Amino acid sequence: MSAVDLPVLKRSAQVSRKNGSVVIRHLRDEITLDGAAAELFGKMQPLLDGKTEIDRIAQNLNEKAPRLRALAEQMSKVGVLSFMNAPAGELMSGTDFYKLHKEHCAFWLEDVYRQPLWEQITSGKASRAQVIGFAFEKYHYIEGAYEHMGIAAANATPEMMPHLARHFIEEYRHGDIYRKGLRSLFPDDVVLRAQPLPSTRALINYLSETAARSSFAYYAGNELLQLTENTGDDKAGNAVNEFYDAMRKHYPWTDKLIDSFIEHTHADQKLGHEDAFLLMCKSVPPLTRAEVDDALNVARSMAEHLLLFMEGIDIFYANFPTVPRLPCDLRSE
Amino acid sequence: MTSLQSQYRARRVYEVTPVASGAVALRLSDQVVELGKKEYDWFTKAAAWLPSVRGVADLCRELEMDEAKLPRFLTALEKTGLLYRTDKVPESVTGIEFHARFNAVLNSWLTEAFAHPFWDRMMSGRGSKRLFTGWLIELYHYTKNANRHMPLSCASAHEKQIKLLRAKHYAEEWNHYHYFMKALKALGFTEPQIADSVPLPMSLALSNFMRQAARQDILAYSICSAVLEGTTVDRRTYNPYYEKAVEIYGVPKEAVAPIYAHLDLDIQYQHSDLFLDILKHVDTISAERASVILDYGHQLVEHIWMWTENIEKYYDKESNPVPRRPFNLNLD
Repeated sequence: MSAVDLPVLKRSAQVSRKNGSVVIRHLRDEITLDGAAAELFGKMQPLLDGKTEIDRIAQNLNEKAPRLRALAEQMSKVGVLSFMNAPAGELMSGTDFYKLHKEHCAFWLEDVYRQPLWEQITSGKASRAQVIGFAFEKYHYIEGAYEHMGIAAANATPEMMPHLARHFIEEYRHGDIYRKGLRSLFPDDVVLRAQPLPSTRALINYLSETAARSSFAYYAGNELLQLTENTGDDKAGNAVNEFYDAMRKHYPWTDKLIDSFIEHTHADQKLGHEDAFLLMCKSVPPLTRAEVDDALNVARSMAEHLLLFMEGIDIFYANFPTVPRLPCDLRSE
Repeated sequence: MTSLQSQYRARRVYEVTPVASGAVALRLSDQVVELGKKEYDWFTKAAAWLPSVRGVADLCRELEMDEAKLPRFLTALEKTGLLYRTDKVPESVTGIEFHARFNAVLNSWLTEAFAHPFWDRMMSGRGSKRLFTGWLIELYHYTKNANRHMPLSCASAHEKQIKLLRAKHYAEEWNHYHYFMKALKALGFTEPQIADSVPLPMSLALSNFMRQAARQDILAYSICSAVLEGTTVDRRTYNPYYEKAVEIYGVPKEAVAPIYAHLDLDIQYQHSDLFLDILKHVDTISAERASVILDYGHQLVEHIWMWTENIEKYYDKESNPVPRRPFNLNLD
């Protein structure tokens, strides 16, 4: 049995047909099959289940196996198809993982960027509670570094320890930058005692729990969050500036809050954290298949948590507009 | 912050309902306060001003009120019950007194937890079998994940009596996820499909939050546990939901029977009394500790609301896989 015997069309691949062509979308890539290739794929598709050997597919379709294998291999190269009987013991280098991770994260983050709150803020439709809530939740999220980065450093593998220690030491005071902005509207004591939304708490706790059990999977998740920060790229930088300009225009009282957001972005840029994950990937031993799946599972889940974080601000503050979220006491309830 | 601002705080308003001619009814945990349109506007402005850095002049300008009248206005709001004086918060309470306070707010908290529109939607026939199924899958994860937090609470408890009570609770609950597995099998799923599935972020968040509570304070954990137990004490509150699921969405009775069996077992164990049993062993709780415990309790309530939101949003989308599968490099 050769390594290409059990082809499977990736379940995340989306297949559509137009004028005799077949378009297959996977992550942010798209491939188009025309003519004979499209026709052949159409016949093969129901049998691309990871259980049917190529020779059997060829028999069923009355086609030549080498022709099917050639198409399957081409599709595998562009990532829309894989082979279920690929050797499970094969290891993946950290740098190969880095590329794979980046590709998947860019796709998973699309839902986060599409979340309606961004547009509601730039168009001035967001409520005061949502806007102040946005600042508070960002503060809680950044302040959460004490928890998850601390746990990560304390539980790090030898290869990851220097990276995670440095990351914690460089970032643990960033929450104070947001706190400074919030102090333009609320007393310091109120800011310090304010309670995060459940969705923000979910994000911090997920990072902390992962940090306690796997250094590498933790950072694969944290890296997804880093990818959302402005790293100095012109296009991303302009988008961020436009967002803040619109926010200032519609919510002039957020001036000092926005100053703090920008100050934090600059602080992050100075640290050059955009290379941190690549350095980690270069220093870890080759990864088993289970480690790859775990780290990508965490990164995907982190994207879901980040979306939840945005939805929390959007939906929760729309339904429960009390802000700041003061702690309970024996009379408050 | 002015001295007036540090003297007063607003109580939690659980619901605001319009009544005649612009007036509103504000529901607190122990009373309903009616305010006219203008008074309600004043109250919301004062409540927003209290925890802010804005000065007295700023609020008075907003209220179009003479500064000399502001103390009287705040006192009047205190008399209605909408504000309270911070110096009247007791410095400490006994465990039993704390339980009485918890009991007094539990219904308001549970109403808030289940105020999500999902429930109305499901009961009115605007839901679907898919939503019911999704909710059941997440309930399976939530119940199975008790194994992530209940034993941790035993490990983090220090007093012998409390450790014992928490451990007994765990022993009685640890395998209850089988009831949900049975229900899901009746809906056509296989055991590996469910056991290997990935919970939604908010389902995971519930157990992560319970783990956080367990590590911080056994009473913080116990109040969360008490809120959760509070959701299953009365058959009248949950039976109609399951009956509707069978009647409207064609959910097989075999999928509902194990859930009833589970709820009956919970009642039989009288787990809703556990928090009181634990608090009987606590002589005194400082105001600071009480604040932390209550925060955990109320945040658990908010977790339930947000969990419901997460379930509805995910399972409502037809293209989302059910159950949710873990990442697999070959397939994803």
